[in-house]
Amino acid sequence: MEQNYIYAPALTSEFRCKVPLKETRQLFIVNGKVQGGKSPFSLRLKEGEVMKEMLQIISVRHKSYKEHLATQQDFHFGKGSSGKIIQCSHTFSPDRFRTTEKVTISLERDAVAEFYIMQNEHNNAEHSTSYEVNLGAGAFLKMVFLSLHGGVIRNDIFLDFNEKHAECDLAGLYLTDSKQLMDNNIYVNHLVPECNSNQLFKGILDDEGVARFYGRINVAPDAQKTEAYQANHNLLISDKAKAYTSPQLEIYADDVKCSHGATIGRLNEDELFYMRTRGIPAAEARILQQKAFAYEVLEKISNTELRERMLSLVERRLRGEFSHCSTCIRNCC
Amino acid sequence: MNNDNIMLKISGLKVSIDDREILTGVNLEVRPGEVHAIMGPNGSGKSTLSAVLAGKENYKVTEGEILFEGEDLLKLSPEERSWAGVFLGFQYPIEIPGVTNVNFIKTAVNEHRKRKGLPELSAAQFLKLMRERMAYVEMDSSFTSRGVNVGFSGGEKKRNEIFHMAMLEPKLAILDETDSGLDVDALRVVAGGINRLKTPENATIVITHYQRLLDYIVPDYIHVIYKGRIIKSAGRELAQEIEQRGYDWLIN
Repeated sequence: MEQNYIYAPALTSEFRCKVPLKETRQLFIVNGKVQGGKSPFSLRLKEGEVMKEMLQIISVRHKSYKEHLATQQDFHFGKGSSGKIIQCSHTFSPDRFRTTEKVTISLERDAVAEFYIMQNEHNNAEHSTSYEVNLGAGAFLKMVFLSLHGGVIRNDIFLDFNEKHAECDLAGLYLTDSKQLMDNNIYVNHLVPECNSNQLFKGILDDEGVARFYGRINVAPDAQKTEAYQANHNLLISDKAKAYTSPQLEIYADDVKCSHGATIGRLNEDELFYMRTRGIPAAEARILQQKAFAYEVLEKISNTELRERMLSLVERRLRGEFSHCSTCIRNCC
Repeated sequence: MNNDNIMLKISGLKVSIDDREILTGVNLEVRPGEVHAIMGPNGSGKSTLSAVLAGKENYKVTEGEILFEGEDLLKLSPEERSWAGVFLGFQYPIEIPGVTNVNFIKTAVNEHRKRKGLPELSAAQFLKLMRERMAYVEMDSSFTSRGVNVGFSGGEKKRNEIFHMAMLEPKLAILDETDSGLDVDALRVVAGGINRLKTPENATIVITHYQRLLDYIVPDYIHVIYKGRIIKSAGRELAQEIEQRGYDWLIN
């Protein structure tokens, strides 16, 4: 691995995470500058290289730079390599931060990668990220997005299957309140035969929050034996919350299994009444229902400690708190 | 009869849904230690009565009152009724995917304890209590980690209702068609659980179609409800008569 990152760089304690996950190295990027390393950030795993620890990349916007920021991160996984990445983005103040980010991810033959993306910014922040993903033969990529908080959060994923037998599992949970907007646009391109893709995006929308989901699955004429699934489910908690969902399938091959499903709904009243008859107060019952709805996405996080931490962040978020860890006042994961 | 010791007193209760009158004047008194059975043909208002007692919305009480231990029950929310000691066993228990049975009942038990000024149970205490009460209805521990009622068979759902009842120890349990969809073995288990929970201080209202359940749970009183009111009240011998003669002789 290129030593492009250093643990615990010379950083003021303001930025440090006080409760890092076990077996995780942390890298800080402040206003687009990699702390203790070259910018923009790039990570290259050599053939067969296995990352022993997770790498947590914590990008923060700080009031010392309020201009529009354009940044980039590049990840390359060589043949048969594997690793887990946590990408966190935060703002440290309620300034009008605008961030445009480009992330490239390429997996060579039989590489395995997991990305957990945690987005937690203030209401004035606008953060748009475009992911360009290329998968080689037999590669497996999992991406789990947790969009907890932010004025405008936009994620565009352009994923190409370039060789056979690759697989991707894309999942996202987005939570909005006040006037937040969460926008997910996903383009999965099956260019070759015998690849699998799975998408599950779920949102809980409160107040006047808005979510947009656009999911396009394209299956090229040659891409026989493709399996491609997509689901987008939205829960409206208030009368003014809105969800727009556009599932799109374009299939030019004839021997494929594809499906899509999109729903926009409310909390189930029968469940609510049942819980209340057992003495669970209505407000608590609604939280239980929302946690249950969110869990389907969160259970995709394979690391138990990370999953528990995300669960607790989501729960506190659903209770209307700006999420932060129990032992720290910073809004990190 | 001792009037001072009435747990539940329903007087002249009229209930409508969407301007259609379902209950047309129900009177009922239940005292601690009693078991009442409410029987009646389909559509007579049995389930409406249980839903109104539990506090389901969309039912409009147009006349009459319900007093529970002297307090106006209709003023209370469903959760407040539960804390006061009213329990409804559902005819069709609701499935809640993603909420595990153990989390669900733990939340419920601790909410009850909070209202009584008791501290939350420790994990060990809770586990012990849960194991003990699951044994009442012969449920094995695999049910705890599954979503509430999700993928449960009809019999398992009804056993789960009685398990919830065993955990919450209500003063008044209203069991709506708890026997429906049960085979003989499941019926025996469910009834065994209900009988085990019976004390001189609590009371049970079982709502049922058939006399079958009453072979296992012996009622003190049987009421026949028809067209939204109780048309006949008698002792347990009435069940036999209904089994043999049906409801027609009562209706006409």
